[in-house]
Amino acid sequence: MDLKPANPNERRQYYREEWDVKNVPDFILKSLIQREFGFDHMGRGPNDRYRVFKNTDFLRKFMRYRAPFAAYSSVAFYHKPRRRDGWIKAELVFDVDAKDIPIRSCGCENVCEVCLNQAKDIVHGLVDTLKGDLGLSHIHVVYSGRGYHIRILDDLVMGADSDVRTQVVKYLVGSDVPRSEYSSHGMKYNLEHFTIPFGYPQVFTHRVKQALLAVNMDTEIDGVNKNILKAVIKHRDLLKDDQWGIFRKNIGPVRYNKLVKGIASLNLTLVDAKVSIDLKRILRLPSSLHSGVSMISTEIKNLETFDPFQDAVPKFVYERNE
Amino acid sequence: MFFIETEYFCSGKFFLITRNIIVFMVSISFLNPLSPEGKDIVRELGSLEGISEDIPQLRSIVTHNPSQEILDDGEIPSNFLELALKRIEWHIKKKHDREFNGRRYAYLSDDKITKYDVISFYLLCQAIGVKFGPNSRETRVMVESQGDLINERLGKLHADEGRSMVEKSLQMLLADDQVHWTFFEELLSSRKIRLTDLVLDQGELILDQEDFLERFGPKIKHRNPMSMYQLLIGDELKELIMIKLIMQETEDYIKQVHEKAEKMVEPNPILLELAEQVSEVLSEPMQSYGYGSGRGGGGPLKAGPLNNLAFPPCVKKALEGIKSGGRNDAIVLFMTPFVSYARLYPDVFRMNITKRVSDQDPNLEITENEVLPLIYEAAQRCVPPLFDDQPQEKVNINAKLGFGMHSSLNMNHEGETTWYTPMSCEKIKLHLPHLCKPDDVCKKIGNPLSYYNRRIWEVNNLETEGPETPENGDSDNSNKIEASEVQKGTGEDNKSNESTDTTGGSA
Repeated sequence: MDLKPANPNERRQYYREEWDVKNVPDFILKSLIQREFGFDHMGRGPNDRYRVFKNTDFLRKFMRYRAPFAAYSSVAFYHKPRRRDGWIKAELVFDVDAKDIPIRSCGCENVCEVCLNQAKDIVHGLVDTLKGDLGLSHIHVVYSGRGYHIRILDDLVMGADSDVRTQVVKYLVGSDVPRSEYSSHGMKYNLEHFTIPFGYPQVFTHRVKQALLAVNMDTEIDGVNKNILKAVIKHRDLLKDDQWGIFRKNIGPVRYNKLVKGIASLNLTLVDAKVSIDLKRILRLPSSLHSGVSMISTEIKNLETFDPFQDAVPKFVYERNE
Repeated sequence: MFFIETEYFCSGKFFLITRNIIVFMVSISFLNPLSPEGKDIVRELGSLEGISEDIPQLRSIVTHNPSQEILDDGEIPSNFLELALKRIEWHIKKKHDREFNGRRYAYLSDDKITKYDVISFYLLCQAIGVKFGPNSRETRVMVESQGDLINERLGKLHADEGRSMVEKSLQMLLADDQVHWTFFEELLSSRKIRLTDLVLDQGELILDQEDFLERFGPKIKHRNPMSMYQLLIGDELKELIMIKLIMQETEDYIKQVHEKAEKMVEPNPILLELAEQVSEVLSEPMQSYGYGSGRGGGGPLKAGPLNNLAFPPCVKKALEGIKSGGRNDAIVLFMTPFVSYARLYPDVFRMNITKRVSDQDPNLEITENEVLPLIYEAAQRCVPPLFDDQPQEKVNINAKLGFGMHSSLNMNHEGETTWYTPMSCEKIKLHLPHLCKPDDVCKKIGNPLSYYNRRIWEVNNLETEGPETPENGDSDNSNKIEASEVQKGTGEDNKSNESTDTTGGSA
């Protein structure tokens, strides 16, 4: 499918014929009056900021008549959203952009089915950790048009400051190599991350596995040369059965350490950390049109079965005369 | 002013009878003065009256400690105030003095001083809270020293006793058996602990052995779950959490004192004097052994021409030009503060005094001729060149130098905005991950400016000692960044006063 931009007529058609204010997820509608809205009318960035809608009808009318190039709403809840003042709390969000995945198996210029699928796999892993390790449950996953947004509305984390969010990002993406030296009663022991089937070491193991299965000979990882990459590609099938010990032995322990260190530093770009730590960010409004690629930003009910090329394509795309 | 009224004092010692052996138990307040037992000790004292009087008992404990080394009678603390200062002095010397001798402070790990130690702890917190407030260097050092002292004391206790004290402390500190990780929000926010240090399951912190075995036991293959518990949690994680929680409570307590003191008319002069003395103890190492700088030499670090040999890898990379997104942040938020501070006020973190650019460069000559040209050069090396499509970023650069949102540097506007201090490594990793390619020196620092200060000292030293001259005839002057080498600012400044909105939209 050709991901070309939507023209103004197509935008108008979408907002008049297809879009319904009811398609905006409840988690946004419920807090409508506390959120700031922002719009991009010309495709040059969201310059029309500080918008507030008293009710869904005002939002409906605005969208229908202005048919914006892009629509955004704040992750933050404010007492005075019109002035972005009186910050109450903010969703904890993670932005996985298919274009920015650090190790992409496709090598395409923009986004394609392959990297979008890869982004979906990453989102799967992140959501598992958010639930299983961090015990969060009010999690919404939204297809953004070029990737995915994970939006968390558990009260326990919505008041967290940027520093706490930074720590969550690092845990989630696996940006630190877990220590391998442990001591007990004066004795030192070696425990590699893959021998620990829980907690952060397990998260790290999952992220490293995902990365190693995606590398190719063109992948650039700090401190990792072509020989190491070659060895990874040769032996990585072992990881499918979680035979990490043999894999590490085949790569060589010193080279293995370099490899995981390089991947840990790349992992920090699995999500756009700036988005996660910004307490006043605006994010693309689910249900709105991503005019750059003519896709609908869609809240996902079932990540397993979601296919953006089936479930997020506006009608006008099918009506185009190629 | 002493905030806890008089009440009955519980003895500093408890008795525990196990397996028919009587074990003397150290009071929890020896580790955590903020525990109920510690508060009882303060209640018994009641007021500050007679606080500076000699305590022969304290002198006697110190002199009778078998590990104690005394070179001079003056070293023996003889009252609460002197003991308070010794606590801080111990921490500072241990950290910075190469000739530090722990045996001269052996009494600090002797639980017999508990009663006096707790009072001295409160005196310190109150003095620092009243005089300096929670965001001061004094508070930071006090909090660190408390953590350091607990660690030291735990190390000296018998393993079983230490373990039992940690368990007991944790029970008090963690209100519930099931603790959600968000309980540690303050510790995470102040980076006293890392989320990755905690063992979590379904949001809960796992510390208890039974809990661990129940949750993870079935998953553990080829290893003994019990020994895995010992390694991953065991004493170490519990101690870490206990220490960090007490450090946080200490910080919170200083904050409370500060807030209360602000509403009071006259702070107690004894506390103010103690605060002054704490400050003196902290400034001493700065003069004698280069406190906090990590450099080998003493004395303040003077501002001087920039030397690119000393730049950290991230700055070198940014100077090459940003080719893949993040141009604005790299130039405006990262390079502008780094270049300006490195050139004009490299000592900012050590001095801990906020300044303006003109304090260091009165007629802004260096800023105009050396600082801005280097920033502009990096900006124009970006792909596409930053000012070609975003000339308004020059205004934002001026703003980050403290000159408001204006198109030129004008003294009349100085102070309208703040002179931004350089981003920490932590922030760079998050905002500009592509720039961070750490080398060996990076492991030792937390801010690119500290890297520069450390390296510039080494580089300058090499130069004065006579460096190896490059064979190709290039003198080491080639590494000095001269104004003539770089493009000067053009007159194409944007007149717009709009700020760059960092809270951008996200696709």
